[in-house]
Amino acid sequence: MEYLYFLYIDFLHKYNLPEFIGMATFPLLPFCMVAAALILVVLFLVLMERKVLAFFTQRKGPNRVGPWGLFQTIADAIKLLCKENITPTGAEKFMFNLAPLLAFVPVMVVWGLIPFSSEFDFMSYSVSALLFMTIASIPTLGILLAGYASNNKYSLIGSFRSVAQAISYELPLVFVLVSIVVLASSLNLRQIVLAQISVYPFCGWFIFPAFLGFLIFFICATAELNRCPFDLPEAESELVSGYNTEYSGMKFAFFFLAEYAMMFIMCAFMATLFLGGFLSPFGFYLSERFIHNDLLAQVLVYFEQVFWLFLKTFFLIFCMMLVRATLPRLKSNQLMGFAWKVLLPLSFLNLFFICCYKYFIYAK
Amino acid sequence: MMKKSLKPFRDIIALALGHLTVFKHVFKRPVTLEYPEKKLPLNDNFRGEHALVVDNEGKLLCTACGTCQRVCPSFETIEIEKEKNESGKFYPKNYTIDLNKCIFCGNCVQYCPFGAIIMTKEYELADEKKSALKLDINTLKKNYSDSIIKKTVKSKR
Ligand code: SF4
Ligand code: SF4
Repeated sequence: MEYLYFLYIDFLHKYNLPEFIGMATFPLLPFCMVAAALILVVLFLVLMERKVLAFFTQRKGPNRVGPWGLFQTIADAIKLLCKENITPTGAEKFMFNLAPLLAFVPVMVVWGLIPFSSEFDFMSYSVSALLFMTIASIPTLGILLAGYASNNKYSLIGSFRSVAQAISYELPLVFVLVSIVVLASSLNLRQIVLAQISVYPFCGWFIFPAFLGFLIFFICATAELNRCPFDLPEAESELVSGYNTEYSGMKFAFFFLAEYAMMFIMCAFMATLFLGGFLSPFGFYLSERFIHNDLLAQVLVYFEQVFWLFLKTFFLIFCMMLVRATLPRLKSNQLMGFAWKVLLPLSFLNLFFICCYKYFIYAK
Repeated sequence: MMKKSLKPFRDIIALALGHLTVFKHVFKRPVTLEYPEKKLPLNDNFRGEHALVVDNEGKLLCTACGTCQRVCPSFETIEIEKEKNESGKFYPKNYTIDLNKCIFCGNCVQYCPFGAIIMTKEYELADEKKSALKLDINTLKKNYSDSIIKKTVKSKR
């Protein structure tokens, strides 16, 4: 990052701009990139979800707006922004308006924690995995607030369900994360990725020792994201649409954005932990092998790393959509029982197994 | 009966098979029919907008007998104004069907003793104004000639 900073200052010098502008604007640049990328990804993701679900059910999905329906989400977004922002009469005004922000802002923050390439993570701390889990659980608070403030029983029940679900599924999630931390001996996400490098291509990925952990993590992430089959907080048939029933216009768009962005980030996190993050599945980088111009290859490697991360992420998202298309919604008691009676013991088992693995095999 | 201890494994296999079944559908062709461009073929018995049959001389077959009015299950849907012509025969001076009230049961067509009223295959009837769905005698005549041109009904000539 420091190298980039000097490049940036140099660039400003060329146009006779003073250095303090560079100092002031440099931290903003990553933020802008993160924000823009997030919005683009979400726009694409909504379309992808609709298209993929359509393919699973032998339909065509959106195909009217733009070629192949590409601009459908943009049209939907514009429609949402044009709508009126209604605040119900009985609602707690301040909290009602705060809730969408509380659901959205943490998503923006954790997005910056993902290591996109070996040189390029916007925020890299020695405890970033822990930080990720901490911040990623804040949107639940936003949901609780939304349900409480909208003065609507459906919203309230939806948000209660969401919180209960998030709390019970967070536990196995964290235990699996602990097992990964044991494997990698680090809490830094980039170090976790680098620990997955091995002599043979993709054999070092943590999904192999921790396959059970991967399954648990996948299930828990689905539950955290309130997606099918764990979408009880938004159960349309019982709760209208759960905590966001009373929201409209821009505020609803925030919830919507947060949900899909969180889905992408969770999958990216999963890819980072289990599927080798930005590592190439071939054991070498294509741009290093095929482009002989050194400087160009050096730059392209970073883009390739981003590409691999996104590929793995989209593979996981595809799996989530497959699950959504296949399974029906659970009952509330099944949901809790499953988390406490099945997933939690299994995650202990996984942790135990990983510790043994690390002690006997890895440590040699 | 399978042993109880095996049940989790059986469940997991069932889950995997379920996902596989859904996944297979990706490779199948979509069954969607994109409606305004492509339409499903209609049955011969399809009951759409009404039409009054006109014979070779351009006269209506209808004798204003009122049978259709009597068999119609819907309230005040068909309204007929009777009139006698020079040769002492009755003919409808005006004949309105209010499609806002019609349930497209087809009774009027079934019971008409002269085969004077038919149903075309026109079903895209949506309009901005309610009054557009009140078909008067001229519209009903025009419907008949239109459907002859479109070959959606057999000519009675
Ligand atoms: S189709 Fe049925 S409801 Fe409609 S006018 Fe004829 S008899 Fe009446
Ligand atoms: S349409 Fe048929 S049943 Fe109705 S008044 Fe005319 S002749 Fe009689």
